[in-house]
Amino acid sequence: MKVLIIEDERTLAKEIKVFLEKACYLTDTAYSAGQAKQLMVENEYDFILLDLGLPDGDGLTLLNDTKKMCLNASYIILTARGKLEDRIKGLDLGADDYLPKPFSLLELQSRMQAISRRKSGNNDPVVELGDFNIDLNKRTVRFEEEEIELSRKEFDLLSYMLLHKNRPLTRMQLSEHIWGNFSDDDSDSNYIDVHIKNIRKKMGAFAPVDWLQTLRGIGYKIKI
Amino acid sequence: MKLLNKLTLFITLSKLLIVLLFVALLPTLVNRVSFQYTNYFLGQQKKEVLNVIDKNGIDYYLQGDSTYSSYTMLMEEYISLVPANNKNVHDTIETSRRVIEEDTLNYRILIHELKSDNKKYILEIGKTTSTIGEYSKLLQRFTLYILIGLILVSLVADLLYTRILLRPLGKIVRTKLLNRKFPFKEPLTPIKTSTTDFQFLDNSLIGLMAKIHEAFDKEREFTSNASHELMTPISVLQSNIENMMMEEGVKDELQEKLLAMMKTVGRLKKIVHSLLYISRIENDQFARSDKVEVLELSEQVMEELSVRLESKSIHFKNKVTPGVTLMKVNRDLLFQLLYNIINNAIRYNNENGSIYLSDHYHHGEAYVLTIRDTGIGIRQEELATIFNRFKKSGNEEGEGFGLGLSIVKSITDFHGMQISAQSVNGEGTTFNITFPESMMQKKEGH
Repeated sequence: MKVLIIEDERTLAKEIKVFLEKACYLTDTAYSAGQAKQLMVENEYDFILLDLGLPDGDGLTLLNDTKKMCLNASYIILTARGKLEDRIKGLDLGADDYLPKPFSLLELQSRMQAISRRKSGNNDPVVELGDFNIDLNKRTVRFEEEEIELSRKEFDLLSYMLLHKNRPLTRMQLSEHIWGNFSDDDSDSNYIDVHIKNIRKKMGAFAPVDWLQTLRGIGYKIKI
Repeated sequence: MKLLNKLTLFITLSKLLIVLLFVALLPTLVNRVSFQYTNYFLGQQKKEVLNVIDKNGIDYYLQGDSTYSSYTMLMEEYISLVPANNKNVHDTIETSRRVIEEDTLNYRILIHELKSDNKKYILEIGKTTSTIGEYSKLLQRFTLYILIGLILVSLVADLLYTRILLRPLGKIVRTKLLNRKFPFKEPLTPIKTSTTDFQFLDNSLIGLMAKIHEAFDKEREFTSNASHELMTPISVLQSNIENMMMEEGVKDELQEKLLAMMKTVGRLKKIVHSLLYISRIENDQFARSDKVEVLELSEQVMEELSVRLESKSIHFKNKVTPGVTLMKVNRDLLFQLLYNIINNAIRYNNENGSIYLSDHYHHGEAYVLTIRDTGIGIRQEELATIFNRFKKSGNEEGEGFGLGLSIVKSITDFHGMQISAQSVNGEGTTFNITFPESMMQKKEGH
């Protein structure tokens, strides 16, 4: 998978690049709209991560100009503006998703994967987790033939951890994913623990859930 | 008291005072006038008599007698001519009694000594005081009528004119001060008046409002810009920390530090998000076009918060009337409003505490939604400031109310709703949200 990062804040572009390369993506970086256009002519990309505030032009204009050129590419808008109109306009112009800054890199990856899954059709969305089968499209968890009922948030949490398996996830990263940037000022998201407890209880009734590890003082990890 | 009423009262009272003063003085004045007139009349009579005596001699009156007297039929006036008999008499005009035809009457009398044929005579010309009195009474009444008539006419004219004169003031108050919603966004038009004081007042108010609006605009713009400017650096920080945490071979000690940093970034994010959210509300970036059923909305909020209720074993009772629907509101904002209040009710509650949600509505009245908790409460001295931004709570946990309640206040202000809080320290807090009657749409059958 090839990704073009268009971001004028160089440190941020670098961090995204480091992160995505670790997740086995190939990346190119452009710091301006001009550079980006040049790269898009020369290469084909699966993902274009687009910052809206570029030094030499508006990201939305760039999106409009290049959408026809890169038919296969999925656009994700990254912006600090966060205006509703920008979001609607961006999605209208054909962007696949919209991620307001500041975002978690894990959230970015999860959005990218969701887009891939959507675009590739039902390309084996069932994932094995221990003795369980998890269908990411139908949003079901099965043990053999038995379906285990998880709440919406519990399933979101499980699939997010599964996506970032073998990686320590902090409570903040997890709560940000399931509650979004919901404006409440709880400094500690201990409520994640309640969800994890429920997941363990519901799934543990069928088979061991030792793949779901608690990292003391940090958060949780799914280890496979 | 209103200026118009004050002026009306003053004008009426001052005119009344004038009338009273005049009425009190009137008898004296009129008596004086009529006595003066009587004196003058008597003087004229005397002149006539003397003229006649000069021309025709004193015998014209005496006709051979030693005295002469004559009076009118009702004895209102009399004239007498008697020899002086060596008495010395001064010319005077006096009021005294005379007996005529066995009637004793009060007269105003002119006494004059005259010489004729080397003999001294005393001439008396009199007029009854009762005639004078009657005459002055008539004069008094007539004057009073005219006076009252004039006063009434001028009173009506004064009041009407005052009313017209003060009309612009009422208009200024109505259009510039009342019915105006902070931050005074709509442009103002000066009112039409020829009174320069009112023009000055009106223009000053328009200028003042414009300044307030401008200052408020600048503050909002600043908050919005500053928040947006902060987004990118925070994003850089967060990505940095996330990448470092995932690096191989990070020691536990370092991992913990990174986690603490991450938490700080998280707090920073929440503050900036809240500020942006408030500035978006204040910038009118939300539509007020949704219809929301209160019960349904509150159930959704509770579903969102159920985990938190569970984690503290808090008992929740929802007694909201089914079917009560709010119109012309923003659903997301109302959701956030309830979420923040109930979330606070959970956070500042004790283990196994309770939260009650209830409402009060009668057709034609405002709708009141009440959220009551059995938590730690808010101290009286802090109650007034809980909706202020960044107000720290003095409770032992040291955790601030942060921006949650500021957001609540922005949302209620945005919708024109009222919010109030009562609390007993240690026993719990009650929030009352009052929705204006115009928002209400109640389904049939309730």
